[in-house]
Amino acid sequence: MSTRWYPIYQRGNPQLRVFLPNFWMKLVRPLPKQLPNTVSFQCSMEMTKYDIKNYLEKIYNVPVVDVRTKITMGKFRRDVGRGYVVKDDDVKYAHVVLPKGQTFEYPDLFEKSKDDDEENMKSLEEAKKSFKNYIDRNKDRQDVPSWFSI
Amino acid sequence: MHLIRTHRTFSKLKSILLRRHSQAALIDQNEYTETPEYPPILDMSIQGRKLRERETMYEKIKQLNTVEEKQIALNMPRYYGWPCVMLNEDKIPYNAMPLVQCYTRTHFIPTEKLPDSYADTASTADEITKEVKAFIEDALCIESEGVEHNFSLSLEKPEPSQKEDALAKCIVRQINRIISNNLTDKVPHIISTQVDYDPRHEAFWFVGGVDIPDSVLNWRKKQSWYKDRLEENLDRPVQYIGTPFLTLRNKLPLKPIIPYSEAENADFKVPKFSYSPNNVGYFTNFRHGTNMPGYWPGDYDEFGMLSYHGRGHILDRKESFGPEDNLEALHCQAMKASFGWLLAQANYQGFTTYNDLTYPLATQTVITNGQLWSFYAYQLNTIVMHNEQMDENPKHNVCFGTKPMKLYDSIENGKVQGLNEEVLKTLVQFYLNSPEEREHDLKPYLGKEEQVVADIEDDRKRCWLEDRYKHLVANRPKHFLPPETYLWEKIFKIQFNLRFHEKKRRPFELDINPYKRRLNEHLPPYIPKLLRKYPRSKKKFENTYYPDVLNHK
Repeated sequence: MSTRWYPIYQRGNPQLRVFLPNFWMKLVRPLPKQLPNTVSFQCSMEMTKYDIKNYLEKIYNVPVVDVRTKITMGKFRRDVGRGYVVKDDDVKYAHVVLPKGQTFEYPDLFEKSKDDDEENMKSLEEAKKSFKNYIDRNKDRQDVPSWFSI
Repeated sequence: MHLIRTHRTFSKLKSILLRRHSQAALIDQNEYTETPEYPPILDMSIQGRKLRERETMYEKIKQLNTVEEKQIALNMPRYYGWPCVMLNEDKIPYNAMPLVQCYTRTHFIPTEKLPDSYADTASTADEITKEVKAFIEDALCIESEGVEHNFSLSLEKPEPSQKEDALAKCIVRQINRIISNNLTDKVPHIISTQVDYDPRHEAFWFVGGVDIPDSVLNWRKKQSWYKDRLEENLDRPVQYIGTPFLTLRNKLPLKPIIPYSEAENADFKVPKFSYSPNNVGYFTNFRHGTNMPGYWPGDYDEFGMLSYHGRGHILDRKESFGPEDNLEALHCQAMKASFGWLLAQANYQGFTTYNDLTYPLATQTVITNGQLWSFYAYQLNTIVMHNEQMDENPKHNVCFGTKPMKLYDSIENGKVQGLNEEVLKTLVQFYLNSPEEREHDLKPYLGKEEQVVADIEDDRKRCWLEDRYKHLVANRPKHFLPPETYLWEKIFKIQFNLRFHEKKRRPFELDINPYKRRLNEHLPPYIPKLLRKYPRSKKKFENTYYPDVLNHK
C-alpha cells in the first residue's frame, strides 16, 4: 500500500517504475526481561494490528498469535547550536506474540566485527606505546622537531 | 525575680520539681541474673529496618478487631488507591496460565472425574439425576426455544458473548431452581442455603517476586543508595473483579477436598512467574483494594458453596489463540474466580493478605454456557504471597478441573437430544457436598466482642467507620481531580530548566510524590463555631477513626 500519488505520465518519462509501500517494520532489541515468545518491532505509523499480522504472516511466514501496538512519544532535546527545545518523531511499537513453544532471541549482529575490534584496539595500543617511547626518548630535547633526529 | 528567690530559698523543692533524669531511678533488686541477658541483635541495614517497619504494620493489622477496620488498614498507605494489576474474570490474554497460577499460587490438576471426597455421594446423585432429568430437559427446551428472549445488550462488549451469557444465565437459574427444589427435603443443608443472583465478587492481595517496572528501574539507576539493590522486587497489588451468574452460600464451610497437611506437599509447587504482568497483557489501574464476597460483613451465611460463571468471553478471543489456549483460559477463569471468592471470604473471617489462613477453605465452580459445562473444585490453603513470603511460604492452593463437557447434543423440535446424565450427576454431586461444622476457631484474628463494625458501642466511631468503609469500597472517583504533571511542565520545568525564574510551588518542585499521600492525610469535617461545645471549645475539626497501622513519618 502506498499513500503517494501516482505521478501523471509525461512523455519521455521512464515507463516502468517501482513505487515502494510506506509500510515498513524494523526489528528492535526487546525490552530487558520480556517473555521469550514476544518480538518487538518499530513500524510505520499507518499500520494497524491487522496490517502487522498480515505483513509478518504473508511475507515472512511468521506465525503470529497476537499483536499489541503502542505509540510512544518522541524524545525532547535541546537543538544543537541554537538551544531551543525540539521534539523527535513519535514511534509506533508492535509487540508480536508468537505461539507458546517458540522463542525469539535477538541476534548478535556484530559478532564478526568483534575480532576486528580487538585487532584495532591492539594496533592502537601499539601505536600509543611507540608514541610514549618516542616522548620518553626525547624528554631532554623537547624543542627539537621530530624530523631532526639521529 | 520572685521565682528565682523562691527557688533559692527552697532549693530542695527545685530538685523535686525538676527531675534531671528521664526516668525515676528504680532500685531493682533483680538487676543481676545468672546468665547475661542481651537485647536481640537487630539488622540495622536499610533493608532490615524497612522490613521491620513493614512487619510492625502487618502485626498492627493483625491486632485490629473488626473486618472493616482491617480492610481500611490495607488501604491506609495510599490516598489515591493502589496501582492494581486488574485480573478481570472475563479478560484472559494469550498464554495467561503461568501468570494466573503464580498470582493465585494454585496447582492445577486436570481430571476426568471429581476428586475422591465426592465418591460417597455418587449413588444418591444417580437417583436424584433420574428424578430431575425430565424437568431439566423441559427447562432447557423452554429457555432455548420456547421463550423469545429480549436481552438488553451494552455497547462495551461484543454482541455474541453477551447473548450467550444472558441465555446461560436464564438456564442456570432454572437448573438451580429445579435441583434445589428437589433436594430440599433430602439433604438438610440446601434449605438454609442463600442464593445470590449476579453478586459482586472482588478480591485484593499483594504478590511479591515480580520484576519492577522500567520507570522504577530508571529512577533507581539515578539514586546512589540503590546501587547494590537495583533489581530489588516490590509488592504488586492485584485486584480481582468478577460477577458470577449465581452463587450458593451457607453458614458452615465445606469440607476440605484434601487434608490440610497436603498443602505443603512439594508436588504442588507452582513455578514462579517473575515477568511483569503487562508482558502478558494484564494492565494496572489506580483503585482502592476491595474484598467483596457478594455480601456485607456481618452476614450469617458467609461460606461459599457453589458459583456459576459464564464463558461468553471465549467467543471474544481471537481465532489465532486456538482451542488449546481457550481451554487454558477456562482453567484460568476458574482459578481466578475460585481464589478471588475464597480470598474475599477469608478476609471476612479476619485474615488478610498479610496474615495467613489457619485452616483450609473450599469452593466449587461451574463454568457454563448452557450446553458446555466444566467443573472445578478448589481448595484455598494460603493467601500470603507478598515479597518476603513468596519464596518462603511452603503452602500452595489446589484446583481440580475437568474439560468442558456437553450436557446435551442438540435441541430439535422442542426436544433435547442426547442428555448426558454424567454431567448432570456431577452437578448434583456439587449440591450434595454438605458443609460441616469445624472444630477450630474460624475467626482467630478478630476481636472477641467486636468482630464487625456494627458491634462497636461508640455511636460516633461505629457510624464513621461504616461510612468510611462503604465509601472506600465503592471506589467512586475523588471529588478533586488527581494530581497531574502537565506535559509543558515536564518539558520546560523538569527536563530542561527553562523557567527557573518562577516560584516553585508544584509538588514535583517541592519533592513531593502526591501518589504517596496517605489515606488519612486530609482535613476532617469542620465544626462550625455555633455547634462547638458550650464553654469555648477550641476543637475545630471532628474526630476521625482511621486504624492506626502506619509508622509515623
